[in-house]
Amino acid sequence: MRTPRAAYPLTWRVMDGLERIAAALWPASFQRGLPYLMLMPAVVLVGLLVLGLFQIGDTSLRTLDTNTFLMSEDYTLANYRRVLTENFFATVAGRSLMGAVIVTAVTLLFAFPYAYLMVRTSSPALRKFLLVALFLPFFIGQVVRAYGWLIILGNQGMVNEALGLVGVPPMRLLYNYPAVLFGLVQYMLPFAVLMLAPALTAIPGELEAAAASLGAGWVRTFRHVVLPLSRPGLIGAGLVVVTLSLTDFAIPAILGGGTQDFIANAIYDQFFRTSDQGLGATLSLMLVAVGSIVVGLVFLLFGAGTLAMAEARK
Amino acid sequence: MVFGNVHAVRAASFDLPRGRFLTILGPSGSGKTTLLRMIAGFDRPTGGEIFINGEPVNAVPPHRRAIGMVFQKLALFPHMTAAENVAFPLKMRRHDARLIPQKVERYLDLVRLGGYGGRRINELSGGQQQRVAIARALVFEPDLLLLDEPLAALDRKLREEMQLEFRRIQKELGVTTINVTHDQREALVVSDEIIVMDGGTIQQKARPVDAYRAPSNAFVANFIGVTNFIAGRVTEVAAPRVAFEANGVPLAGLSADAALVAGMPCAGALRAEQVRIAAGNGRLDGLETVVDGHVVDCIFEGERVVYEIRVPALADTLMRVFDHDPESHLQFGPGDAVRLGWNARDMHVFQK
Repeated sequence: MRTPRAAYPLTWRVMDGLERIAAALWPASFQRGLPYLMLMPAVVLVGLLVLGLFQIGDTSLRTLDTNTFLMSEDYTLANYRRVLTENFFATVAGRSLMGAVIVTAVTLLFAFPYAYLMVRTSSPALRKFLLVALFLPFFIGQVVRAYGWLIILGNQGMVNEALGLVGVPPMRLLYNYPAVLFGLVQYMLPFAVLMLAPALTAIPGELEAAAASLGAGWVRTFRHVVLPLSRPGLIGAGLVVVTLSLTDFAIPAILGGGTQDFIANAIYDQFFRTSDQGLGATLSLMLVAVGSIVVGLVFLLFGAGTLAMAEARK
Repeated sequence: MVFGNVHAVRAASFDLPRGRFLTILGPSGSGKTTLLRMIAGFDRPTGGEIFINGEPVNAVPPHRRAIGMVFQKLALFPHMTAAENVAFPLKMRRHDARLIPQKVERYLDLVRLGGYGGRRINELSGGQQQRVAIARALVFEPDLLLLDEPLAALDRKLREEMQLEFRRIQKELGVTTINVTHDQREALVVSDEIIVMDGGTIQQKARPVDAYRAPSNAFVANFIGVTNFIAGRVTEVAAPRVAFEANGVPLAGLSADAALVAGMPCAGALRAEQVRIAAGNGRLDGLETVVDGHVVDCIFEGERVVYEIRVPALADTLMRVFDHDPESHLQFGPGDAVRLGWNARDMHVFQK
């Protein structure tokens, strides 16, 4: 009679061997430390970022000596004073914040039906099409897409040519605030849909059927059942879109043409145009602060649990 | 109803008088849930018409039909309390807002959940959630209550308790009810009437006792109860009595099938509890047919013993026999020679 071991598939025996080796290298008594060990790479990465933050904090307290182009030796709050008092920075910050809020609202408005249709459609072909259409822009990249809009929306672009055919004189469609917001919405849509889709998948379709049988038409089913239950998805998607829009660089730079700077563009200018690292660092910290406050407010209002991460609902 | 080129429901015409409790019984894939979804309005029939209170409803969307439904997975709203769930249909159907709280209270009492209204759904046990779902489906006094296998996920004890509960509530309110299940016991326990479905077609519509005692075809005989089938050939028909032979053994039974004539292949169906069992040389008085066999297996099920017995005279047919007498439980073991007996009136003969 053959030994039973011979009956096991080869892959099983390979796995058994690997497990034995692992057991020798990593005794069971170390098991409790394993999760922490696996946490290490993430901790190191985030830790480096924190170190960088301290560096930026240090820089933000020094001013630029315009004669020597060197940073001052001693600490001063001059940069913060400038940022908080000069109109230019208030304008940029207001534009960024307002833009982020508008972009988030519009994006969620567009993303919700898209995600809903993608999750609920009974046609696998349509679902695949929507999914591919969603991922396609990711392959193109933000900068290339922004240049694409330049071609389409430019003075001699497709849109203006088409308008010219029906006798409308060429319009300035680029280098203004709406153009930037438009580009941002288009860029953010896939992120929002991807965040919303799992949240909508988690709502059983039977609930909507139940609402219908209980007398709710689709509008009230949406208002009383679908919308409240998709709140975690909406908040998650909203947070992602708000922070990404607030900190975006390429779209305001390209579609705004230097006239519609967001905070990130202002930071870039300080670092790479005027070489005032101190002011750039200050602006960076302000951006971090504003972003953190927005996220903190959302957590405070809706609770971190609504992100469906903290507690898995039964 | 046709999905692609699959007919989920083919021939399913029936009518249901007001106040009755009907159960549609069938294996999975028999079309019973599709039938229920069409009645509720979630699916539109590709042919035929559904009437509620004499009105054709094919074009009426679900939320305009006065139908309460208890779903398979209950479909309670997790973001609402029990009371809010029960109040939902009243709000959606624009009932007088001042009367809603007391109505919710009354229906929570009806399902014996008085005082639980403030609980969230995930704070309730499985049985309590069932009750909330029932109250929610009934609170707006629908013309028709639909039950889509809501008890399937419960453990046996709770399921049997809830079956009686459904029965009690249905009798108390007198609401016309259609229940869908694959659980034959549930169908027998709760219903005034049973429809047995298979392959999208109604096989039999009858009172539970009639569906059990007088199955209209071999499928029904096999699906409800534990049934032995003995294959043979018809020798003589003297309606309702049919004589047939199986492997040379002359047997007889009853049949309502007028198409049955001598020479046809047939199957005799015999319930496991209609067969008496005795020791190999024992006596079985007053039984028309007696055959010898030996025990292959005996299964103790608590309140009864199920014997599996091979009968050489009937071409080695394996017959299942119940012994409900606690005195004689387990008196035979595998290999023992036994004698089986039954009466021709308990044998139902079907075409094969």
